[in-house]
Amino acid sequence: MAATSDSLAAAAPHAEEWRPARGRTGMACLIGMECFFFGTFIVAFLFYVGKDTTGPTGKTCLSIGPVVVWSICLISSSFTVVAAVKALAKARKAAFEFWLGLTLLLGGAFIYGTVMEWRGLMLEHELFISTNLFGSTYYSLVGFHAFHVVLGLTVLGLLWTLSKFGHLGPEDTERVELVSWYWHFVDVVWIFVFTSVYLIGTGILS
Amino acid sequence: MSEPREAPYSRAIPTPTGGPLVTAFGVAMLFAGIVTNIAASVIGAIAFAIGGVWWFREVFPREQLEAIEPTGGQSEVLPPPLPDREAPSKRLVLPVEIHPYRAGVLGGLAGGAAMAAVAAAWGIVKHGSLWLPINLLAGAVNPSMAALGEPELAAFDGGWLAIACLIHLVLSIGTGLLFTVALPMMPRRPMLFGVVVAPVILTALSWSTMGIVNPALEEFISWPWFVASQVAFGAVCGFMVNRFEMVPTMRGTSLAARLRVERSDGGGEPS
Amino acid sequence: MSTLTTRPAEVGAAVGGEPLATRLHRWAVTVDHKRLGIMYVLSGLVFFLVGGIEASIMRAQLARPANDLVSPEVFNQLFTMHGTTMVFLVGMPILLGMGNYLVPLMIGARDMAFPRLNAFGFWLFLFGGLLLYFSYIGAQGLYGTAVAPDVGWFAYAPLTDRTFSRGNSTDYWILGIMVSGFGSIATGLNLVVTILSMRCRGMTLMRMPLLAWMMLIVGLLVLAALGPLTAAQVMLLFDRNLGAHFFDPQEGGSAVLWQHFFWFFGHPEVYILVLPAFGFVSEIIPTFSRKVIFGYPLMVAATVAIGFISLSVWAHHMFAVGMGPALNAFFSAMTFMIAVPTGIKIFNWIGTMWGGRIRFASPMLFATGFVAMFVIGGLTGIMLAMVPFDWQVSDSYFVVGHFHYVLFGGTVFAIFGALHYWYPKAVGRMLDETVAKWSFWLLFAGFNLTFFPMHISGMLGMPRRIYTFQPDRGLELWNVLSSSGVVLQAAGVILIVWNLLRSARKGAVAGNDPWDAWTLEWATTSPPPEHNFDVAPTVGSRRPLWDLKHPEDPDGRYE
Ligand code: HEM
Ligand SMILES: [Cu+2]
Repeated sequence: MAATSDSLAAAAPHAEEWRPARGRTGMACLIGMECFFFGTFIVAFLFYVGKDTTGPTGKTCLSIGPVVVWSICLISSSFTVVAAVKALAKARKAAFEFWLGLTLLLGGAFIYGTVMEWRGLMLEHELFISTNLFGSTYYSLVGFHAFHVVLGLTVLGLLWTLSKFGHLGPEDTERVELVSWYWHFVDVVWIFVFTSVYLIGTGILS
Repeated sequence: MSEPREAPYSRAIPTPTGGPLVTAFGVAMLFAGIVTNIAASVIGAIAFAIGGVWWFREVFPREQLEAIEPTGGQSEVLPPPLPDREAPSKRLVLPVEIHPYRAGVLGGLAGGAAMAAVAAAWGIVKHGSLWLPINLLAGAVNPSMAALGEPELAAFDGGWLAIACLIHLVLSIGTGLLFTVALPMMPRRPMLFGVVVAPVILTALSWSTMGIVNPALEEFISWPWFVASQVAFGAVCGFMVNRFEMVPTMRGTSLAARLRVERSDGGGEPS
Repeated sequence: MSTLTTRPAEVGAAVGGEPLATRLHRWAVTVDHKRLGIMYVLSGLVFFLVGGIEASIMRAQLARPANDLVSPEVFNQLFTMHGTTMVFLVGMPILLGMGNYLVPLMIGARDMAFPRLNAFGFWLFLFGGLLLYFSYIGAQGLYGTAVAPDVGWFAYAPLTDRTFSRGNSTDYWILGIMVSGFGSIATGLNLVVTILSMRCRGMTLMRMPLLAWMMLIVGLLVLAALGPLTAAQVMLLFDRNLGAHFFDPQEGGSAVLWQHFFWFFGHPEVYILVLPAFGFVSEIIPTFSRKVIFGYPLMVAATVAIGFISLSVWAHHMFAVGMGPALNAFFSAMTFMIAVPTGIKIFNWIGTMWGGRIRFASPMLFATGFVAMFVIGGLTGIMLAMVPFDWQVSDSYFVVGHFHYVLFGGTVFAIFGALHYWYPKAVGRMLDETVAKWSFWLLFAGFNLTFFPMHISGMLGMPRRIYTFQPDRGLELWNVLSSSGVVLQAAGVILIVWNLLRSARKGAVAGNDPWDAWTLEWATTSPPPEHNFDVAPTVGSRRPLWDLKHPEDPDGRYE
């Protein structure tokens, strides 16, 4: 026996009663939890700034120039992802894929930047996670951030693929928007990581 | 955004799936590999991938739901119509009247001032220092103070003054409020409560715990003066509270009316 | 509009005749909050028995001075595994599991907000727990022997450093707890979203049962506390396996930082463990006093206040570390402050019972036992919040006495009360009252016999986490008393387990509402069908079933 879902809809809450959508609430909770997670790594980083007695530290081996460029890429990807969600809501498939693709590129560029920086630190400065406190805190904080970027890129890439194969439509706007929330979160965390590592950790701000 | 296909507003519930189980197994194995063998991690990664795809297909493109036929045997819950607020009620709401909280706050402040005056008098008369009692009060949060000698304790210290003021303010207001809400237990004799009962209880409490709470104070304390300060507090606080008129507790009225944001249902000014 | 297929409900008899494999499969693939809740509680109870056995061995070792029943190494493993098990594999899963079972029913929802995530959370907890216990077989100890973690439930640095903790048993501790922690995060998130988003019509926030309020705050605390724990555990994992130096004093790392991180999780955690218990008691006491809960808005306010304050008292576990007078004073003051909302609750429960027509059925016995024991634990907590006193007894058996009064006398008693109260709903049959009362009194007597003397032995100077003590220090009596209480407690627990198992078949049929209670879960059948309610409920007050039974005198008028 089959029934339409309308006939099953018994009682929806009164229009004036407050019930936040579950997807949004869930994503907000996840982001809140992640804030505490990253907060702990940031506290550890700041706690150990300047406590090293040996080895390369932020002052001696981080150069802020390239990071600013890659950061601009990451931050601007927050805007492109908003454009993508808007395009999807209006059912403009090509525009959605364009903006989403651009977001992927910008995020990918950021990851490329991180990889290059790490390469330089390991090869030229011989800084590893086991070298000193700066190595421990720097690699784990930046690494966890990069890991979250990669997660976000994976999901965004999946959305892009689904759209290419015609499985994504305007009815999915809310879901895609939730992914974009996550992406914004990753960007905002970067602002804090950037301030801690590249401004405070290098001694530019102290 | 409406969600017509989703729980809880229809009898629809999600179809069972093994996706989450397999994904969780994958996660656990992935980590177990760190302490056992890399093979465990490989198995974990595979399970994670399988479970993830399985799970994804449960919710994409549409959540997999099924509806259950009614089973009967339940009470259908619908609220009855509310009778008029003014209609006679068979419930009795107690206590009917109390002193307003404002009275407790003001009484506490006034009592606290009286108590401070007595304590200051003790400091000046007995030890020749206004700061001694204040520093001793601050000793509640600084155990190392017990090790200090009298000259240090009798000297002025801004930080300890601030801490002592804070402690005294919080305790006075708190006690005043407690006094107000406890008063209905002895409604006829507020002054008896204030001047005798409360000081006795408080002194007994302090006497038995002082060594733990505030070892610095314990060394110096003079119990007759202490009792005098308690009585001063009780008398002034009781006197102040008593000057306020009792107000109805307003149970059963809406929060907005209680906060005086809106008029009560009966019209007129809420008393 | 798309269509759904409809099928008959699987309840009771329909399932009875199926082969075991089919039935197991049904449990494995379920996403139903009620089945998951039951699985949570059952696995939690199994871990409870395991943790209880570990405790009994410790008490046997300590029954007389200079005993050598177990070696110091084994003793270290025992108290580590006992503490870790009871907190992460008993307390959390049983409480979250009962929240899982009850919250959707109480707020009139079909299921949790994310049913598949819910299943995921349960399995993560279970696999995490199994991983932790696999250390008994799998971990590499000092001489190639398998050993369990032995660094204490709070795993202080630098004891957890590679230098001092060889092999990989500490890694098992990290990973097992981390995996089950992911599960707790998933379930905590699910609870928050369910409570905010899935309430039925008319169920405003201020009409929710208090249990739902407490679970909301618990969910938020889980989100706030488990993130930092995971982060700190990752750092420790890096220290041990990648050579990082977060907590390695040799290289300038700080062992005290680990303490801060751990207790930033640890103190909210103790409130995660006790707030649901508050919730159970706040449901049981009104029902058996035949009165509405006294001061509902104040209870809500106190719960929210506890949620906030519990995030800023963590360093009261570190008074003895030497943080300096300013920090000590701050955390001492905050700790005093958290006792205020906690005390308010005690008064409200007493106010609810005051003048009520009290019926001491087994759930009520456990609930009142909870209130009494929790008061004692709360008072010793206040004593410990005073820095000078804490310096004297920190890390002694006094602290062990304190937290067992709040966690065993508090949380565990409330859990048993809740089991006795909601068992008829979940199983459809009543527990045997006589057996239940016996088990309560045995447990109550045994509990006090074991844990009260600990305050005294602690003040006499008996340190905690010590595998034996010397004769002639005046500690023999108190320790033998503590150990003998275990026998009574074990008898009580065995009776409870037996009662739970036997009554599932032999108990009297419960009917929908055996206690004449007032919240929504009692409106549906026992056990409830998969979809919980044929018709989604609509509520007009905090006690929808009172309104249903007394339409002439509804509550809404007084709220
Ligand atoms: C009235 C409220 C409470 C206060 C003021 C309080 C205070 C304290 C203090 C100061 C300590 C540290 C003792 C030391 O290590 O020297 C402590 C330990 C502890 N408390 Fe409480 N507590 C309270 C309630 C609770 C509750 C409700 C729970 C759990 C349900 C709890 C569980 C614990 C545990 C598990 C420890 C020991 C942790 C360890 O060292 O392993 N407490 N408490
Ligand atoms: Cu604590």
